[in-house]
Amino acid sequence: MLSLTIDFARRFARNRAALVGFALVILVIGVALAAPWLFPRNPLRIVGKPEIWPFVSSRYPLGTDSLGRDIAAMIAYGARTTLLIGVCASLTATIIGISVGATAAYFGGWVDELLMRFTELFQTIPNLIFVLTIVAILGQKIEYVTIAVGIVTWTPIARLTRAEFMSLRDREFVQACRAMGMGNLRIMFGEILPNALPPVIVLSSLVIAGAVLFESAVSFLGLGDPNVSSWGRLIGDGRTLIRSSWYICAVPGLAIMLTVLALNLVGDGLNDALNPKLRDR
Amino acid sequence: MRRIIIRRLLQIIPLILGVIVLNFMLIHLAPGSLFDVMTSEQQVTDPAMLDQLRHTYGVDQPTSVQLAKYIWSVMRLDLGFSYRQNAPVLDVILEQLPSTVILMLSATGIALLVGITAGVLASVKVNTIWDNLISLGAVFFFAAPSFWLGIMMTVLFAVKLGWFPVGGMRTIGSDQGTFGDALDVMHHLVLPATALGLFYAATYARVMRASMLEVFRLDFVRTARAKGLSRSRVVISHVMRNALLPIVTLLGLQLGTILGGSVVIEAVFSWPGIGSLLFDSVMSRNFPMVLGVLVLGSLLVAVSNAAVDLIYLRLDPRIRAR
Repeated sequence: MLSLTIDFARRFARNRAALVGFALVILVIGVALAAPWLFPRNPLRIVGKPEIWPFVSSRYPLGTDSLGRDIAAMIAYGARTTLLIGVCASLTATIIGISVGATAAYFGGWVDELLMRFTELFQTIPNLIFVLTIVAILGQKIEYVTIAVGIVTWTPIARLTRAEFMSLRDREFVQACRAMGMGNLRIMFGEILPNALPPVIVLSSLVIAGAVLFESAVSFLGLGDPNVSSWGRLIGDGRTLIRSSWYICAVPGLAIMLTVLALNLVGDGLNDALNPKLRDR
Repeated sequence: MRRIIIRRLLQIIPLILGVIVLNFMLIHLAPGSLFDVMTSEQQVTDPAMLDQLRHTYGVDQPTSVQLAKYIWSVMRLDLGFSYRQNAPVLDVILEQLPSTVILMLSATGIALLVGITAGVLASVKVNTIWDNLISLGAVFFFAAPSFWLGIMMTVLFAVKLGWFPVGGMRTIGSDQGTFGDALDVMHHLVLPATALGLFYAATYARVMRASMLEVFRLDFVRTARAKGLSRSRVVISHVMRNALLPIVTLLGLQLGTILGGSVVIEAVFSWPGIGSLLFDSVMSRNFPMVLGVLVLGSLLVAVSNAAVDLIYLRLDPRIRAR
């Protein structure tokens, strides 16, 4: 197992873009974890003069917004919100996707047909409109935003899990488990799933990137949780000032872009490292 | 062929039924009664009116009857009434739909043009500086939120350079005849369509590059070259034609996302479409309108998806043969 891990790490490290992405992800996680230590007081509190440009004041390296709040502090706390929502939404999507995909492929027949139609249904609904509808009906809370994003992003995971399960379900080891009288659930999740998991994990990591983009759009529109600092909301708040202080929009946007970029690079790197067959294409 | 088309179109029906049922579930999921929220938000206080509404929405009946009634009314294209606009929901949506469709089509057009060109260029000049630059650009545009890109483009091209208007769809108070009006709309369309389209252009560029490289290695390409066809002829009429298939698949899968993306872009550029309507309705908790947009949006995606499938059928004879 250890040698496998080392082998995997070596293959991942050979991809320079993936390493850069990995470093960026670590940086964002570091900032998110260190936020309360770097900025011990409430980031949404007013600290100084409004609209100080970045790199002008040493106390506020990224400047202040229209109300005089420290942008650096809001970015740091925003990283927490963004990562939390991204990871939880991806987990939600992965759990739904694996359950649907595994059940469809394992049982086949009408179960498969029904579940695939169900998946198609969620692919048809315009996803952002659906997220906004859920948030509008349930209320602007961080939990609801997370669940809503998870609900619109699980379909690719379900399709991939189904495809993986299809190729595994008639293998000898599965037949052996059946012959031993193992229950369906145990075969599905104890025996087949571990073999199907690697590509699904890669996709889940890419779903985090998508979830971050969704969350930013929702809070940009002002429908995120009003009690937490969020990069999207920062852009939304700064929008009215683009004539005088466009940096208020630019800085959090760069943070979103770099985070999504880093997550995508890591996902691609994982994909290459886990599927060496595809790498030389 | 005709039977395939009819069968594909019939598949839309269960999908839409599913969306309607989901809608219904959402209404019942809401904390408190959505009916109360609806009536209080829309300031309906007259008891007689309330009773009438309760009857129209069937709130006094069992859930199964309510569901059946709801399905029946949506089937008759009755999506409810919006007191805010004082008009049936469907009428309001249909009035706003063309602007959104224009935005979506332009964004898709830009995405296809830029994405395919970039992808072909990168694959023809594989592993050169061009390929690297295009891949780098694709990675960045794939990660940038479209609304942010829109704002940054507004700052540069509208505020600083003054080349394009900051927002809206038409210059207020201008009367330039039909042709002038169309030009005016196009002028307003450039920034929002580009901001929305660049993300998809990045996706298409990546897919097109990979797909072209895949096709380049196939035997028939070597045959075409051996026949003495010029390189550009081989690239354009042999490789590209086959490499386009994954793009068509992707286009179908992404229609819903493009529609969702246009909601945000419309909010950024004050584009008067379904997105702005949805945003206002969410803000004012105008639920019949929100749910109406969801149903019609899904219908739009389902129909376009079927159309994409049929295009695919034309492009790839192998599928027809099955």
